[in-house]
Amino acid sequence: MTHVARWLVVLSLAVSLVEPALAQAPGVTLNLVSWSYGVEIVRDNIAKFQQKYPGVTVNYSDFSWATYHDAMVARFVSKTPTDVLYSSDHWLQEWAAAGWIVPIDEAFPQVRQYLTEYSPFVREALTYKGRIYGTPYYADTFIFVYNADHVQRAGFAGPPTSLEELTKQAEAIKAKGIADFPLVFGWGQQDPFSIESFTALVFAQKNGSLFDKDGNAVFKNPGSAAEKVVTWAAEALGPKKILSPTSLQATNNDAIKALQAGAASFGLIPSYSLAVLNDPGQTQQAGKFKIGLMPGESRATVGFIRFYAITSQAPRRGKDVMTAAWNFLDYFGGKTDGEYRVTKRWSLEKGLGFAQTALFADKDIRAAFGKWADVDMLQKQAQLARAKEGMTPYYGTWDVFSRAELHKAYLGQQKPADTLAAMAKKWEELKAKAK
Amino acid sequence: MTRPSLYPYATILPVMLVVAVFTVYPLLHSVYLSVHENVLTRPLDNDFVGLQNFREVVGGYYFWRSLWSTAVFAVMAVAAVTLYGLGVALLLNQPGVLGSTLLKVVVLLPWAIPSVISGIIWRWIFDGDYGVLNGLLLATGVVERYVPWMSQPFTARLCMVIAHVWKQGPLAAVFLLAALQIIPAELYDAVRMDGAGRWNAFRFVTVPYLKATLALVLIYETIVAVATFDLVYVMTGGGPADATAIIGWYAYTEIFRFLNLGRGAALAIILGLLLLGLVMIYLRLLRSEEAA
Repeated sequence: MTHVARWLVVLSLAVSLVEPALAQAPGVTLNLVSWSYGVEIVRDNIAKFQQKYPGVTVNYSDFSWATYHDAMVARFVSKTPTDVLYSSDHWLQEWAAAGWIVPIDEAFPQVRQYLTEYSPFVREALTYKGRIYGTPYYADTFIFVYNADHVQRAGFAGPPTSLEELTKQAEAIKAKGIADFPLVFGWGQQDPFSIESFTALVFAQKNGSLFDKDGNAVFKNPGSAAEKVVTWAAEALGPKKILSPTSLQATNNDAIKALQAGAASFGLIPSYSLAVLNDPGQTQQAGKFKIGLMPGESRATVGFIRFYAITSQAPRRGKDVMTAAWNFLDYFGGKTDGEYRVTKRWSLEKGLGFAQTALFADKDIRAAFGKWADVDMLQKQAQLARAKEGMTPYYGTWDVFSRAELHKAYLGQQKPADTLAAMAKKWEELKAKAK
Repeated sequence: MTRPSLYPYATILPVMLVVAVFTVYPLLHSVYLSVHENVLTRPLDNDFVGLQNFREVVGGYYFWRSLWSTAVFAVMAVAAVTLYGLGVALLLNQPGVLGSTLLKVVVLLPWAIPSVISGIIWRWIFDGDYGVLNGLLLATGVVERYVPWMSQPFTARLCMVIAHVWKQGPLAAVFLLAALQIIPAELYDAVRMDGAGRWNAFRFVTVPYLKATLALVLIYETIVAVATFDLVYVMTGGGPADATAIIGWYAYTEIFRFLNLGRGAALAIILGLLLLGLVMIYLRLLRSEEAA
C-alpha cells in the first residue's frame, strides 16, 4: 500500500467516525408512547411540532388500548426510555403514587391558565394531591345511544328514560324480531372501558354513587344504585335475554360493530364512537343512531379524560428535556397561536370530545359534530357528566378485581348483593393496606 | 497459555456466566422480592416480610380459584393433546396414506406459528358476533343463531383447549410418530399370525412400545398446560368471571395489574415448585422405564 493510500484509509476511517456525530444535530430527543388510535394523525402532529421546535426530535411508539396499562408498567419498571406519554384518569393516581409520572404545575405554572376553561370533571380528573399532571388529549362522556329505526319499528316514539323503560323497549324489539339481543355493552374483562360504562349507568340512577366523599364504598348498601344496575343487568342477560351474551367478551369496539351491523339497538359508548356509528362509509345503519340521555332518574353520566403526561425520567434527563416535554404537552393539549389546534383537529377529524367547554360553541366543531350527532344533546349530556369516584392509587387494582366480580353476578353465579359485598371488601382491604 | 488444571473451568465459564445472569440471578432476585413488601404504588415500603406474601397468596381468593381453573384446563388440554397426537401419529404411520409427506408438514404447521398469533386466529374464529365458526354452523343449520362461545365459562374453557390442542398437538404427534416408526414390523406380523386383530395389535404391541414416549408427552404437555399464559392473554383476558384465569394469568395480573411484585414473585415461585414437582415425576417415570 502506498503512503497516499494509507492516508486515504486513515482519513476515510476518521470521516466515518466523525460523520454520525455531525449528523446528530444538537437538540433533544423525546420518547413518546401512546395507545394505538389515529396513529397517522399523531405522526402528522409530531411532524408539525418538530417544525415548530426544530431542536426536538420525537421517537414515537404505540401499544393497543387493551394492553396499554400493562405495557406501560413494564416500561416503567424496566426503565425503558419514555419521556412523554398518554395516560388516563383511571391510572393517574396509581402512576403518580408509584412515582412514574410527575406533576407539571410547579415547573410550568402556566398550565394553570388553562384550568378555568375545562369542565369541572376534567379539572378533578387531572389533579392528584392538589397538583396538575397533564394537559388533555381528549375528554369525553359515556352516552346512551339507540337505533331510532329499531325503536320506531317497535312502536315507541322516543328513547327510554329509565332502566324499566329500556327493558320494556328491548323486550318489544326482541318480540318483533328486530334484534335478538337489543342491548350490547363492551363489558369484556379485558377492556378498561368496562368499568366506565358500568359507572355511567350507576351515576344515571337516583342517588347514583359508588363512593362517598371520604372514599367509603356506598355501592354495597342495600338498595344502592349499583345494586339496581347489577340486578337489572343480570336479569337482562339471564331470564329476559335482551342483553347480548357477547357483551361479556366484547370490547367497546366489538359492541360498536354489533350496533353497526344492526344486531343490537342500544349501547353505552364514549360519545366520539357515535361518529363511527353514523359514518355512511362504515355501516348501512348510519344516520339511525341517536343520543338519548342516560336512562335513569338523574340522567347523569361519567366523564373521563385521557391526557398527556411527563414521566419521572424526563426531569432526570435534564432541564432541556423537561422544557421540550412541556412544549410537547402545551402544543398537543394546550393552545398554539391562541387556538387549541391539536385538540380541535381530533374533534374535527375523529369526533373526539374535549375538555374545553367553550369549544362546544366553535362553529367548525358544531358543523363537524352535527354530521353525526345532535350537538345540543351531546352538550346537555356532557353538562351532566361527573368524574369517576374513588380515584386512588388502588382504584386500578379494584377495577380489575371488580370486572370479574360483576361478571359473576351477570352470569347468575352469585347474587348482586354478594358481588357488591366482595367488591366492597376488596376496596376496604386495599384502602387499609394503602394507609 | 491456560494451565491444564484451569482448562475445564475456562471452557465452561461462558456457559456458567450465561446461566448465572439469565437463570440464577433472576431466581435469587425473585426469592428476594417474594420475602419483601413490594407494591409499586408504595415504592418506599420495602420491608422484609418473611413468608407473608406466600401466606397472602395461598390464603387469597384467587389462588385456589386459579388452581382449580388450571387443573380443569390441564386435564382437558393434556387429554385432548395426547389423543390428538396419537390419532395423527397412527394415521401418518400407515404405509398407504395418500400424500403422507405433505400431511406431515401440514400437521406440523400450527406448531411453528407463535402462540399469540394462533390465539388471535382462534379468538376471531370463536367470536360471538362475526366468528367463522358461527358462520359455518349457521350456514349448515347446526345452530339457529350465533353462539357467544367465549361468554360462558365452560365454552370459554373449551375454546381455549381447542386453541391449545391446535398449537401443541403437532409436537405430540411428532414424538409419537417417531416412536411408532421404530416398532419392529415383525412384531405386528407375529401377533397377526397368532390371530390378533388390529385392536389387540395396538394393545399388545403398539402401546407397550409407546409407553415411555406417552409418559414424556403427558408430563411435558402437563407442564406446558400449567404454564400457559399467552392464550389467556390474547383470547379471554381471564374472563368471563375469571373462568379462564389460570395460575400463569394470575401471576401476571398480580404483577402488572395489581402491581404487587412481592406477591407476584411468591406466586411465580409456587408455580415454579409445582412445575419442578412435575419434572421430577417425569424423570422418575423415565428412569423406571429405562430400568424395566
